[in-house]
Amino acid sequence: MKYLLLFLALNLIALNTYSQTTLSGTVRQQDGNSLSGVNIFILGTYDGGTSDTSGFFRFTTQKTGKCVLTATYLGYEPVVKELDLSGEPVILALEIKEKSTALTEVAITAGTVSVGDKKQANILTSRDMITTAGAVGDVYGALQTLPGTTTNGESGKLFVKGGDSDESKTFIDGSLVYAPYTTSAPNMSVRGRFNPVLFKGTIFSTGGYSAEYGQALSSVLLLNTNDLPAEEKIDLSLMSIGLGIGGTKLWKSGSITVDASYNNMEPYMRIVPQNYQWVRYPRYTECAFSIRQKTGKSGLLKLYGSYGNSKYTVGQEDPDEEMKTRTYALGNGNIFLNASWINQLGENWTLTSSASFTNNQDIIGYDSISFNKLLRGAHIKNVAVHRFSERIDLRLGAELFSKACSQEYIVSSDTVTQGFTNHSVSGFAEAEFRITAKFVTRLGTRLEYSDYLNRANLVPRVSAAYLVTQASQISLSYGWFCQDPSDDYLLYTNTLDYERADHYTLNYQIKQNRRTFRAEVYYKKYKGLAKLNGDDFYLPDSYSNTGFGYAKGLDLFWRDNKTIRNGDYWLSYSYIVTKRNYRNYPVEAIPGFVSRHNFAAVYKHWIGGLRSYLSVNFKYSSPRVYNNPNSEVFNGERTLPYRSVDVSWSFLYRQNVVIYAAVTNVFGFKQGYGYTYSASRDSEGQYRSIPIVPGADRFFLLACFVTLSRKGEANQIDQIQ
Amino acid sequence: MKKLILSVSILSIALAGMSQSKEFTSAMGEGLTQFAKCQTVDQYQALGNKFSIIADAEKTEWLPYYYHADCYILMSFMEQADAAKKDAYLDVAEKSVNKMIELVPGESEVYVLQGMMYSARIMVDPMQRGQEYSALSMQAIGKALGLDSNNPRAKFMKLRNEMGMAQFYGKDPKEFCPQASELLASWDHYQVKSPLHPAWGKNQVEAIVAGCK
Repeated sequence: MKYLLLFLALNLIALNTYSQTTLSGTVRQQDGNSLSGVNIFILGTYDGGTSDTSGFFRFTTQKTGKCVLTATYLGYEPVVKELDLSGEPVILALEIKEKSTALTEVAITAGTVSVGDKKQANILTSRDMITTAGAVGDVYGALQTLPGTTTNGESGKLFVKGGDSDESKTFIDGSLVYAPYTTSAPNMSVRGRFNPVLFKGTIFSTGGYSAEYGQALSSVLLLNTNDLPAEEKIDLSLMSIGLGIGGTKLWKSGSITVDASYNNMEPYMRIVPQNYQWVRYPRYTECAFSIRQKTGKSGLLKLYGSYGNSKYTVGQEDPDEEMKTRTYALGNGNIFLNASWINQLGENWTLTSSASFTNNQDIIGYDSISFNKLLRGAHIKNVAVHRFSERIDLRLGAELFSKACSQEYIVSSDTVTQGFTNHSVSGFAEAEFRITAKFVTRLGTRLEYSDYLNRANLVPRVSAAYLVTQASQISLSYGWFCQDPSDDYLLYTNTLDYERADHYTLNYQIKQNRRTFRAEVYYKKYKGLAKLNGDDFYLPDSYSNTGFGYAKGLDLFWRDNKTIRNGDYWLSYSYIVTKRNYRNYPVEAIPGFVSRHNFAAVYKHWIGGLRSYLSVNFKYSSPRVYNNPNSEVFNGERTLPYRSVDVSWSFLYRQNVVIYAAVTNVFGFKQGYGYTYSASRDSEGQYRSIPIVPGADRFFLLACFVTLSRKGEANQIDQIQ
Repeated sequence: MKKLILSVSILSIALAGMSQSKEFTSAMGEGLTQFAKCQTVDQYQALGNKFSIIADAEKTEWLPYYYHADCYILMSFMEQADAAKKDAYLDVAEKSVNKMIELVPGESEVYVLQGMMYSARIMVDPMQRGQEYSALSMQAIGKALGLDSNNPRAKFMKLRNEMGMAQFYGKDPKEFCPQASELLASWDHYQVKSPLHPAWGKNQVEAIVAGCK
């Protein structure tokens, strides 16, 4: 009874207390400047105020006793203060700190270009990759308009900062892609296997990357696939070289996308003059699926799988025998599977598991010789990220790589088989410290062990960035990078050690008003590069880690999508000085894949009246070197410079119909990539030569893309317009 | 006696509850009056703060989240130069929109606002985002109409998107004039659930109709 009365009394008191407290004061930032717009309020009540331009606020509350006052502002750490209110006026002086992850975030940009996340802060977007003329929808082609890269027309692969193409690795959703390029005949350009539209974001690191990535001496390309698609649709494409169909189906917490395409170059190649004699025109068949499934509250599972098949036979002149053409027949089958699962474990742990599998088979017939190559690779990776606080993140990971390479060499009835299997385990740890809102540093280390080489390496990776002004920052990075020697060598030997490159990168970047400028200088030192000594490639003892080299250079990048209305352009320039002694080089020399000066200008313009997106680019690479065995000097000859003007035009006929046309090398600049030489001297004591030229002087593409979609759920808006 | 005490006690609790909902109504009403007067980013920010406090205190009411998101969407429209800021405002709005979807997944108005937020995302960088976000916006509006086919704000947003699209493809947006007039004529037939519920849009449709003449 007593308690009940007390309860009643309390109830009435609660209802009838009308004492009022006035709270006032100022909000200042750490540097003493006032901050306006800050929301100051008593938690759990409606009572609060907003600070004015002098940082002053004032409000009243009827709350009495203990309570919690909070001050919040976008990009700042919330201030929390316990108060005991009694009706007496309260005067407060609040200090509010900028979040270490503020609006303008300091990020380590040394060596790294992030491409196409949805936010503004990007150098290139996925759409840029698609619309860049000259790339014709190839991820790697588009990257070759960025600084640090050299275009090698006879290869098509990525060559980064004086590194060979196999020193650049591609990862999709964290796991390694063992065969990222299509296969082609010698000296004919390849493309990437993946369509840029698959990816929502791309990070292209040309050096100094995180300890999470290994097995790459020069660069890593990190492609992150799209999350759940927004709508169900059917995509149709009709091109001058083939056709494709794809469809997306959604369910409550997931989706599936299926694509198939068939390209046949025959009609096109019969019309447009080709520099090679085609016996069987190239044909490509591809199909892919992609599944997305949300798991739990915050998890997302992604599965991707593709199968590609290509076939052709091309005639190439034989330098060893005059007037003779040898046929090169190629059949390639590629299976690629990729899975990743990201899941939030509790408040501060994120776990990402990923795996990939590649099965790439090449069946090559070179006149009467057959050559079968099989590459089977798998990569499994687990990464746990722990957020200790707003300021400290720790990233831990463990990986398993498995690679089996084999080749069969069949001459008449003799078969020579070669092969190796390499398992590597690796682990890494990396911590990121946001010491202040302006300064961030990352310290990491990576350990790798290979059972085939029976070697291990432990490497450091260090980087830091400092925000100079709200728009500009300096960053630097240093690290050791290791990778297994080339597969071609590992087929014959397992006595080699890892190859190593040390990177030093200094970068300055300023971004303001949709304009970006970047300047980067770097120095790279190569150690323990694999060398083939003498001609006995089949002897394990012919190989050693005595190769070495260096590269140093300057990269400049400028992008502006502000100055010209509806226009957008970027300019990139790279200067590089490099030499190396590796593979079968007799002396230290400039490698054949490097141009000292590389320049690219890309311009895109939206013509509203014509609903057209026009893209023009110009690329220039100074002459590269090549070796002429008739000359005394190794790598002493120079190719023509590479020049190309490419144009593409996209026309939105309807909202869902895009017509696309592209021409590469519009002006037909002569392109030559050196010579292939005969294996032995002719009667005059000379090695005969055959020029290496592109497959055609120009490439034309005409395409029509149609999307049929049904937007919304169970509603009757006629979406197909 | 016991019973009496109990009933008084219950009454007082009920009164307290009522007074709270009264406080909610009056705070929201005050906020909405202020809404009509807002002109600058700072004013919207201050008002957004107010709604955020109410949302925070109530936790289960979606209306404060609605107006909070609305303020930030308008702030992003008003912000002139800084694209990163526009996006940051929309990030705040998106959080509130997502919160609403959690609270009232069947409320048509929520998706109208979501559609508006996506349209605001387009404005940050029309060339890059047009395609993707216009699809998202249309989808959200479609969902809003699916939940309430009479919602005049959903109809208005749909009309606005379609007119924009027509203009883009070189068609005469005037072909939508009859639809706009019809929408305007029927506007007042739609019963807004309470004075606190979203009621905007008539002015905008009037402007469209006026433009048709």
